[in-house]
Amino acid sequence: MVKVFESTVLNAPVEEVWEIIRDFNGHDYWHPLIKESKIEKRLPSDKVGCIRNFILAEGGILREQLLTLSDVEMAFSYCLLDTPIPLFNYISHVRLLPITDGDKTFWNWESSFDTPDGQENELKKMVGDEVYKRGFQSIKEILNIKISKGFSC
Amino acid sequence: MARVYVSSVLNATVSSVWNRIRDFNGLSRWHPTIRDSKIEDGNPSDKVGCIRNFHLQNGDQIREQLLALSDYDYFYTYSILESPMPLSDYIATIRLTPITEIDGSFIEWTAEFDCEAADAEDLINTIGQNVFQAGFDSLKRHFDA
Repeated sequence: MVKVFESTVLNAPVEEVWEIIRDFNGHDYWHPLIKESKIEKRLPSDKVGCIRNFILAEGGILREQLLTLSDVEMAFSYCLLDTPIPLFNYISHVRLLPITDGDKTFWNWESSFDTPDGQENELKKMVGDEVYKRGFQSIKEILNIKISKGFSC
Repeated sequence: MARVYVSSVLNATVSSVWNRIRDFNGLSRWHPTIRDSKIEDGNPSDKVGCIRNFHLQNGDQIREQLLALSDYDYFYTYSILESPMPLSDYIATIRLTPITEIDGSFIEWTAEFDCEAADAEDLINTIGQNVFQAGFDSLKRHFDA
């Protein structure tokens, strides 16, 4: 069992960040690895149990199912159903917490999964760096654009 | 039920912050409003169930009992047994979570308690700012120094 844990601080109130990342069908808007996203069977993206179907930027399809969504905790969990990458029993949790000292956001993104023998470190690094840290970076850029637009008004 | 939630970011690893705050009898070493502290009955300060008996700088005495301590998840939980504050059923938790990107710590301090409605706002402010945030400010000064 491999475990990945990544976390960051965003210079924006937690409600503002949650508004962007809450949409289980919105990763194509902010994550560079995802080219297209749709929810199967035309279900709403906040219906727990719905399945998102990604076309990856590098090609290939990835399907993930929403297991938990909490507007109280500002958190969601999902599992991988189909993937071109050998990640098995993959379950991931995303959670935002307010930083009251400065009105910022703490964001942690973590997962556990199994891999073929010998690929543990490579896949752990791929998930942590390519998926989670790149996701953090993209959201930071989006928030920066929002802030600069706000100042110019 | 009144609730207090205060959180901050510290520029130090979780293990070094934990090292500073873990000791249930060590509040007077890092928190500016605590004058002295002892554990009752000669118990070790990491024995769950132990009671700390301490004085604030103004002389007030408070007794608190350790309900949970985790070196794995970096948190401890305690209740107030006796205090001059007009509240009851007070349970608080202080928790650290790593901020991997900056090798820092996210620190949260929460409390829940019952009180008269008229006292709630004052208690929430006093506990949140004068106790919890004051503790964070002191930790920030220590680790930024």
